[in-house]
Amino acid sequence: MNESASAVGYGGKVKRSISAFFGAIGSFFADFGRAAAKGDAFVKLSLIWWGAGYLRRKQFVKALIMTLLEVGVILFSIFFASQYVPKFNTLGTVQAEQIFNMQTMQMEWNDYDHSFMILLFSLFSFVVWFVALVVWMKNTVNVYRLQLAAERGKHINSFAEDVKTYLDKKFHITLLSLPVLGIVIFTVIPILLLVFVAFTNYDQNHMPPNSLFTWVGLDNFVSLLGGGGLTVTFGYAFVRVLGWTLVWAFFSTLTTYFGGILLSLLLNSKLTRGSRFWRLLFVITIAVPQFVSLLLVSNMFSNNGIINTLCSNVGLTDFLRNAGLISTSYIPFLSAPGWAHVMIIFINIWIGVPYQMLIATGVLGNLPVDQLESARIDGANKTQTFRYITMPYLLQVTAPSLVTDFVKNINNFNVIYLLTDRTFVTTNQAMANSQAREVDLLVTWLFRLTQDYYNYKMAAVIGIMVFIVCAVFTLIAFNFIIRGDKEGVYQ
Amino acid sequence: MMKATTVNAAPPDVSRTLSRAKSRKTGRMIGHNVIIAVLAVVWLIPIIWLVCTAFSAQSGMNTSTFFPAEWSVTHFVKLFQPDTVNQFPRWFMNTLIIACATCVISTCFVLMVAYATSFGKFKSRKLLMNIAVILNLFPGVLTMIATYFILRTFGLTNSHVGLILVYSASSGLGYLICKGFFDTVPRALCEAARLDGCNEARIFWNIIIPTSKPIIVYTVINSFLTPWMDFVYAKMILNAGISEYYTVAVGLYNMLEKSLINSYFTIFCCGGVLVSVPISILFFIMQKFYVEGITAGAVKG
Repeated sequence: MNESASAVGYGGKVKRSISAFFGAIGSFFADFGRAAAKGDAFVKLSLIWWGAGYLRRKQFVKALIMTLLEVGVILFSIFFASQYVPKFNTLGTVQAEQIFNMQTMQMEWNDYDHSFMILLFSLFSFVVWFVALVVWMKNTVNVYRLQLAAERGKHINSFAEDVKTYLDKKFHITLLSLPVLGIVIFTVIPILLLVFVAFTNYDQNHMPPNSLFTWVGLDNFVSLLGGGGLTVTFGYAFVRVLGWTLVWAFFSTLTTYFGGILLSLLLNSKLTRGSRFWRLLFVITIAVPQFVSLLLVSNMFSNNGIINTLCSNVGLTDFLRNAGLISTSYIPFLSAPGWAHVMIIFINIWIGVPYQMLIATGVLGNLPVDQLESARIDGANKTQTFRYITMPYLLQVTAPSLVTDFVKNINNFNVIYLLTDRTFVTTNQAMANSQAREVDLLVTWLFRLTQDYYNYKMAAVIGIMVFIVCAVFTLIAFNFIIRGDKEGVYQ
Repeated sequence: MMKATTVNAAPPDVSRTLSRAKSRKTGRMIGHNVIIAVLAVVWLIPIIWLVCTAFSAQSGMNTSTFFPAEWSVTHFVKLFQPDTVNQFPRWFMNTLIIACATCVISTCFVLMVAYATSFGKFKSRKLLMNIAVILNLFPGVLTMIATYFILRTFGLTNSHVGLILVYSASSGLGYLICKGFFDTVPRALCEAARLDGCNEARIFWNIIIPTSKPIIVYTVINSFLTPWMDFVYAKMILNAGISEYYTVAVGLYNMLEKSLINSYFTIFCCGGVLVSVPISILFFIMQKFYVEGITAGAVKG
């Protein structure tokens, strides 16, 4: 839920963010250039010895800290990074083997290369070096500022004063350091790692530590987009899975969006008695965790589940069989393509409409009363007010969430996985060869590839594809819809 | 009708029209509410079935009738008698511990990031927020595999620490709703405090935090619920099949394994009911903020 909520409202900034991004980088480099060029001898010395400039201004503790930091980076490079980074271009060459040791009379592992460790720790080293580079540049800028302050006879902070600024003027740094560290380790590094793995042959046949994997260039992308071998037909499956993902995202978003608006209009109508009570009943559906509700529904609709029994009791099963729509003794709600596709969208309506109802209700509560009032005075009837005021307002306010919902549905793992993982078995051999099923979304396919088949290379490629699809839709949609955020409105 | 007859001024035909209109209105009202009631029943069928099945005397799925043939509470008792498959009390404690830890860490992270981005006036603020925009475009499931690799390298898979890290480490990215709230806090409040000699840390701690109770409640509940609602991450991280480590979600999911479903389906329903009750209550509390959060971003757009 965290992700979904934060998703609202950021997309509009994407376009401007790109130019702002490069602008900020540009000015950072300009500052550094100026500092390095115009600084005195000690500033220039700080380019080599980070603590030099502080020492000159008698900031001894700071000088010590920067020196220790520099030593730390150097030691890290010598003792840690050097084990992995040089092998980065091959990802290791020494295959793991067991060798009989004559002295101990035992089988022992040789000093083998672990491709994944090489990849991960090289990446980690790159990140550390990148941070060190930024610190080095920032340090030079700071030292130059100190020089300027000293030249103008300004007060130079003691260490205690410096520490205090971290609770005052630089409080944001104190606040941001830990969360940013968390994001770097658990979001940025994983994303980079994913991108790297997409260019390797890391799969079931190349699993470290027993065997090595290596760079294969764009091979994985080629085989996903239709080229590659004859036996594993990833291209065939990818087109179908992508197609269904988009169809699913389109229909599930539209049905729940309009369903939610209709339901909220129904509940908020003047004719409704006890609307709070009704709303509560609908919200119960989404308050129950999805792994309970969806697994339950999946079992209700299973081939020998309760719904099938009821259908056969009332004769619906026989009717459908006579009509030639099914050939089995049950209705394959979640086990045959076509049926499953439709049922998934229906079940999603069940689970998605109350959410949208809540949102639409919230928006309707903020409906501009003055507009309604003036419309009434102008003699507009109910239908006209609804048609020309309520509806446009509702659409305008909730349209951005339509886009984020669409992207969220592309990645709607829970609904598809919990509903179909145990019920749906594909009969299409070409799909099965690439471990895909007709009802899979890209993300569930990716999940199964990694969990059950250890095909990490293809999963990584699919992951990148999902990102591209999401990013494209977000960019296109927000360019049309959002007018930009008004952060300063309240300030 | 009473009113119409007592007010003599109204001619009889007008009063008849009035009463007809009124009864038509009543009719429409009843119809309207009946439609809602029917919808509500449709929406609640699976939930009713869940509760009914939980009280069934039969262990497997009741496939012949909607309501169980025999009612009993034995399976609730069985739920609390751990066996090789069912370790519900254990799972519940696991999830509770993970949820509490996640809750503390992510609430802190979210508040910290939100305050820094809303009140801070530093140069790279926009830059950081823009990077967050781009990072948020990567859906969670994608980073999941790579996160799994990293955790495995450090031996943190099949451990609760790993799961807590996964849930809370990146939580700073979900700061937007909280920031939206902070943006509405009057800046004069901070200015006054600053004139009184407060530093930023004290403004944050003594002024902003106490005035932001609603959004803190939202953040706390939201991050507390994440581990209870989540299924994917838990399934991926706790993949060694050690039942004691499971969270409720993974544990209950495993009960529906093909070989187990016939003896554990009712127990699954019992577990589902017991988990849903506290979560539903928290969800109802959060509901209001949830709507505000979703629409806040949009209204400002």
